[in-house]
Amino acid sequence: MTSAQLDKMRLELRRGVLVLAVLASLKQPHYGYSLRKQLQDGGIDIDEGTLYPLIRRLAEQELLTSEWQQGEGRERRYYQLSELGAQLLGQLTDEWQHLNGALGNLLGTASKEK
Amino acid sequence: MELVKRYIAAVQRELPEVKRDEIGRELTANIMDQLDALAEQQGALTEADIAALLKQMGHPRKVAQQYVPPQPFINASYMALYKNTLFMVLGILFVLHLVEVTTYWLSSANMGLIRYGFALFGGFIDEACFGFTSITLAYWLMSRQQPVANTGCGANWQPEKLPPAGPGWQHIKLQDIFTDLASYIFLLVVIWYPLYMSAEQLAQSALLLSSNVRLILQYSTPLIVLGIVHSLWQLRQRLWSRNMLATHVLLNATIAVIALYLASTSPLLQLNTERWLGVFNLQQIERSAMITLVIIALFPAWEALRDSLRLRNLK
Repeated sequence: MTSAQLDKMRLELRRGVLVLAVLASLKQPHYGYSLRKQLQDGGIDIDEGTLYPLIRRLAEQELLTSEWQQGEGRERRYYQLSELGAQLLGQLTDEWQHLNGALGNLLGTASKEK
Repeated sequence: MELVKRYIAAVQRELPEVKRDEIGRELTANIMDQLDALAEQQGALTEADIAALLKQMGHPRKVAQQYVPPQPFINASYMALYKNTLFMVLGILFVLHLVEVTTYWLSSANMGLIRYGFALFGGFIDEACFGFTSITLAYWLMSRQQPVANTGCGANWQPEKLPPAGPGWQHIKLQDIFTDLASYIFLLVVIWYPLYMSAEQLAQSALLLSSNVRLILQYSTPLIVLGIVHSLWQLRQRLWSRNMLATHVLLNATIAVIALYLASTSPLLQLNTERWLGVFNLQQIERSAMITLVIIALFPAWEALRDSLRLRNLK
């Protein structure tokens, strides 16, 4: 497999997971840069070109609430999980755990067959 | 900070007007946060540091597209329907244009075969451009509304009503149907044009068939009408059945026989010898017409042979 193919598949694999990671991180309010730092500290590296438009899309879908606040002499837009977002996060978390368990079994079987 | 302002302005130029201010404001806040974090690590920032950070964020157009992804001109859910409409309308436009140009050619003294070809294809390109643009614009407008997710693929379909699985050729292509339809209508116009032309127009006509040939062709009219009906039937069914194939074999075999019979008759044409004086002699033109008819006969003969073989294999 070429490096380009691997990059493409890795991107596809991460795309859905990132939504879950962002929703889970926004239980507490964050502005763009602080959210990115929190995700990085948690081991999820995401570039700003992906993260910032993703937060906006989630806010447009009313999964996040947002508010402009002044801080350190500058305005920042803070995002936080909405009620709808919290419901969806719960459902997605169940789905993720189910998938993770099923995949764990499959990948475990596959690694034994190797 | 001039560089940041220029960068934000460049991104905003690529965004829809209603989103420019809000995205610009948010992007500014995000960039300033990143610059603050960088300054904490490195101390005072130079223009080169800022330029490097902006370069890392990506080209303004790319950033704008990440915020507002470009929409396809025609929504993917309409694409199959769009292509089908396009082929249908272009096919009908070609047939109508063929009738118009052929009628004009037959009644005109000045239009030779080459000018006829140019008028036919050049004129069709004009009409096709108009048709293409109109259909594309109509679908673009439809795509701007909330797209229907399953156009043409509704929930009411029944697996039992799907046609039987067959060989690839069993699906009839639209271009084949319209080619046949155009050929039959062309023949009808050529055969019956003396009926709707004045004596003056007939005298000026560039192409005059001999009375013997016209009589044979007129007797063939029911066959041509059957061909048109058969093409319309194909347009409705779009899948070869045994009955349709058998009719097609019969039609093509009869057309090939008529073309060969015509090739064996003489004279084929009723020519204005003065017009061709010094260019061709009568025998040369007659011989060319005969060879052309034999070549024309080969096409339906080939289709009749091919479809006979297909008919044997089709269950």
